[in-house]
Amino acid sequence: MSRLALTRADEPMTAARVGIGGPVGSGKTALVERLIPALQTRGIDIAVITNDLVTAEDAERVRRSGLIDPERVSAVEAGACPHTVIREDPTLNIEAADELERRFPGVELILLESGGDNLASTFSRDLTDFWMFVIDVAGGDDIPRKRGPGVIRADLLVINKVDLAPHVGVDLGRMQREATEVRGGRPVLLTNCRRGEGIEAIVDLLEREVLFRK
Amino acid sequence: MFDRSAALALLQLGDSAFPAGGFAFSWGIEGLAADGLLSNRGDLDGVIADHLAQRWASMDRILLRRAWQANDIAAIAAADRLAEATTPSAEMRDGSRRAGRALLGVWVKLSGPLAVSYRARVSADANLGHLAVVQAITGRDAGLGLEAAELVSGWTLITGLVSAAVRLGLIGHIESQRSLATARARLTELLAETPDDDAMPSSFTPFIDIAVSRGPLRHVRMFTT
Repeated sequence: MSRLALTRADEPMTAARVGIGGPVGSGKTALVERLIPALQTRGIDIAVITNDLVTAEDAERVRRSGLIDPERVSAVEAGACPHTVIREDPTLNIEAADELERRFPGVELILLESGGDNLASTFSRDLTDFWMFVIDVAGGDDIPRKRGPGVIRADLLVINKVDLAPHVGVDLGRMQREATEVRGGRPVLLTNCRRGEGIEAIVDLLEREVLFRK
Repeated sequence: MFDRSAALALLQLGDSAFPAGGFAFSWGIEGLAADGLLSNRGDLDGVIADHLAQRWASMDRILLRRAWQANDIAAIAAADRLAEATTPSAEMRDGSRRAGRALLGVWVKLSGPLAVSYRARVSADANLGHLAVVQAITGRDAGLGLEAAELVSGWTLITGLVSAAVRLGLIGHIESQRSLATARARLTELLAETPDDDAMPSSFTPFIDIAVSRGPLRHVRMFTT
């Protein structure tokens, strides 16, 4: 059950929390950097939490990007347990999100970027209302066929770096078909975050499925 | 007589899998290892002994007992402010608050009445929410006795330190059990002594405090403290 569905009528409405997981190097931070201006352009009030694995690299990168007030970016250390901090024990991320909501009362959507991991990471429904899993074509077109929990269970699968497909011998059409098949027809979107391609389709989905605006 | 119900409650609340974010805190283990001051089980056992005797028993335990004996929210907050005032290291203070607030948040979701009341106070004051104080609150909400709450507090510190050492590759899984057994014996000794009711919190763990305080300066860092 979604976290929002558990909100009682007498409780103040909280920001929607959107998780972004996926293997190291698949483009999660690049996606966050593209989503920030795209969401802001549509008038959506946002904040960001990063779960860096060994450094505050991702948090600093987003803070220094100039795309968002650095005060709206929080880093949560994962103690070398990137799965645990988003699934078995998401309390530190929940506290960080609650704190952002207290400091920025109008915030509507909080992006929560997981530390880079493998295909087995999934987000707790106590932490997120919606989560996406980011893979990339250079990781191999067999990733969807491996049916990792991240690929199968995410609300949205994003296949990034589509421009590299011809250079790494990947049949992108087949990869997308197989991804859609293993996910039982649930959403699969293609992006080239470096050039900002495919981002609007993700924001459309978030507006419709998470913010219920469309 | 063996109290099965109480023992099972302790197993649940003292379990390293209890979801209160404890896995993200090394309380100086990461920093000491990075500075070359901790590299094997002997070093680890020494650090744990210091943590227990020079910080937990004389500081955290005293704060927990004060919060336990507090008659109202204001008195609990007073113990919390004492924790803030007697912790010189900003990183230690921040870590203690983050760990305490995470634990408090879980017990708010579990509808602990004292936790719910105190959360309102903590939300309005950025200096409140220290771990030892919250352990008293949640222990009271869980229906534990003071001695059991102290035991859970000391034990979760030990398991957190040993678990961090394993994840940092300082010791293996078998050695970790030996360290736990050594620390368990030390904790038992410390718990056998009862502090005075008017004891003031104090600590003297300079190497640990410095290791934690230097955390933000380290480029590679996996733990909150």
